[in-house]
Amino acid sequence: MSEPGKPWDEGGPERLYTVSRGRAPQEPRHRPVELVSLIVARAEPEPGMAPEAAAVLRMCQFPLSVAEISAYLVLPVSTVTVLLAGLLRDDRVEVRAPVPAAVLPDPELLQAVMHGLQNL
Amino acid sequence: MVFAGTSSGGGTSPGGRRPASTLVWVIPPAAMAFCAGLAVAVVPSGARAMVAWCGVAATLAVALAAAEAMRRGRLITTLRTRLAAQEAGFRQRLADQEAEIRRLTREVLPATVARLRRGAMVHEAMKDVDYAPNLDPDFDAAHEQLLRWVLDTVRTEEDLRDAAQRAFVNIARRVQAIVHQQAQDMREMEDKHGADPDVFEDLLHLDHGNALIGRLADSIAVLGGSRPGRQWQKEVPLFNVCRGAMSRILEYERVDLHSVADVAIVGPSVEPLIHALAELLDNATRYSPPKTRVHLTAIEVQSGVAIEIEDAGVGLSEEARRRTDAVLLQAATGFDLNDLGETPRLGLAVVGRLAVRYRFQISLRPSAYGGVRAVLVVPQDIICPTPAPGGAIARAAKLPPPKPIKRATPLPSPTRPGPVAQGRPGPGFRQNGAGLPQRRRRMPMTAPAPFRVDSAPPAASATPRDPARQPVQPGIWLDAFTKGLNGEPIPAADAATDAPDPRKSPSTPDSSSTPNTSDKDE
Repeated sequence: MSEPGKPWDEGGPERLYTVSRGRAPQEPRHRPVELVSLIVARAEPEPGMAPEAAAVLRMCQFPLSVAEISAYLVLPVSTVTVLLAGLLRDDRVEVRAPVPAAVLPDPELLQAVMHGLQNL
Repeated sequence: MVFAGTSSGGGTSPGGRRPASTLVWVIPPAAMAFCAGLAVAVVPSGARAMVAWCGVAATLAVALAAAEAMRRGRLITTLRTRLAAQEAGFRQRLADQEAEIRRLTREVLPATVARLRRGAMVHEAMKDVDYAPNLDPDFDAAHEQLLRWVLDTVRTEEDLRDAAQRAFVNIARRVQAIVHQQAQDMREMEDKHGADPDVFEDLLHLDHGNALIGRLADSIAVLGGSRPGRQWQKEVPLFNVCRGAMSRILEYERVDLHSVADVAIVGPSVEPLIHALAELLDNATRYSPPKTRVHLTAIEVQSGVAIEIEDAGVGLSEEARRRTDAVLLQAATGFDLNDLGETPRLGLAVVGRLAVRYRFQISLRPSAYGGVRAVLVVPQDIICPTPAPGGAIARAAKLPPPKPIKRATPLPSPTRPGPVAQGRPGPGFRQNGAGLPQRRRRMPMTAPAPFRVDSAPPAASATPRDPARQPVQPGIWLDAFTKGLNGEPIPAADAATDAPDPRKSPSTPDSSSTPNTSDKDE
């Protein structure tokens, strides 16, 4: 009858798979969000929503990266990804892609500029 | 012939009154004497003396026989009365003994066994037993011996059962401890491998299996008369409790969690409630078609919170309903581990046990969807207001403060720092490291300019927040900026003058990238 061991540390009684509601992280279509994608809320949290989703909407009034959301919620990135996928499907958030590497200027051009500057 | 007649007459006489019988027995000798006298008178005188002698002898003989018959008759009478008295006595005793045995079986035995079950020793239980006073000591001794023997047997059985239950509970506890440890480890691994979807998915799978094992162990512990699983120190919001229950069943994906009352459950009652809900949910998902959904709602009612679980499965026939009620009731009165094999719906027995112990009211009724609607009413006294409406996540201290962030309108802000942060600084810094001091100066200058502009109005409105917000507000780019910012509050004045020309020089790539992102935004 004795309770085994010391008082348990507090956590939630629920496991992560119920937070992401059982949907596998990678859905058939391409993953819409990357670790560095910026998420912006497009709707206010509603009363009936899961607390995590509501928290995402509240904190994403200002764009946050997926990695940051994951850190704030103390949830693994994959779970956050699934959450965001659900929110995206309902058009509650939007994703702003990070500046793709292709937009970066050509290293040769930069080098040319550098040389030009040095020649000044 | 005369004898026969007289004896038969004498035989009947004792039934009557005693004086009459004595009189009756006078008749045969008198009749004999009369016949002898008659014969003496009738016979010729020569034979008269002989006849007289014979007559006298016969009369005497008859008289003797009559006297003897009368004596025996009296003896029989007395014997009969004595016998009757004795018989009545025996009957009385028999009735008394029967009554005593009946009392033993109906009152004494149940009472003493109940006392025994409550933990009294055998001699204590037998101390208060009173015996019938008017019965012989032999009977009482036998009675006591029987009682003692029965109680000893019961005691032994009880001890055996206790030991078995304790063993069950003990094993269940160990399994629970292992499962809990596993769950913790698994959670750590999930955090660790959260970025790898494949590993993460497998971990979730294992985690789920682990939770199912945990529920089984909890069930064994409950059936063994113990409490299920872990203790919670603080209250837990009902939403999390419901989701906790969902995480312990096989087909949790089929459960739709609808509106949940904004209350919390006090710590000690959390685990029993989760377990009871999990068993009911398991029941609902197991006995309904795989494609159908199971609905879980929780609403506040007068007497507490009513948690409804509704499935669209096979309905409850009247007979099945009676059976489930019986299972619940049986669990309420006490549960025998030996019955385990006979109740396929083990979960109901567990729920019944928990319901009794923690005063949940449970009813299973046919649902409007054709399935079963299980309602579990949580009593008012284990409910408390939620410290954080919306669940534990919402109250997490790590969340960025929502309000000040709201002021910066979402659309313009990312366009401004976005390109600078993501596109420029990375390579920019590296090149600085390579040895281009001018570029290094330029970067901070572009950086602080928008940053200051953004933060200046809020800083004016709420100055104390400013330092607190700075570590919270920044995205990746701001982090990079603050790093870059480290040494340079000085050039702020120069920045105004210097800023234009470096901006202009890279303005072509910058301006090209800015519209790009803003296009994407819209």
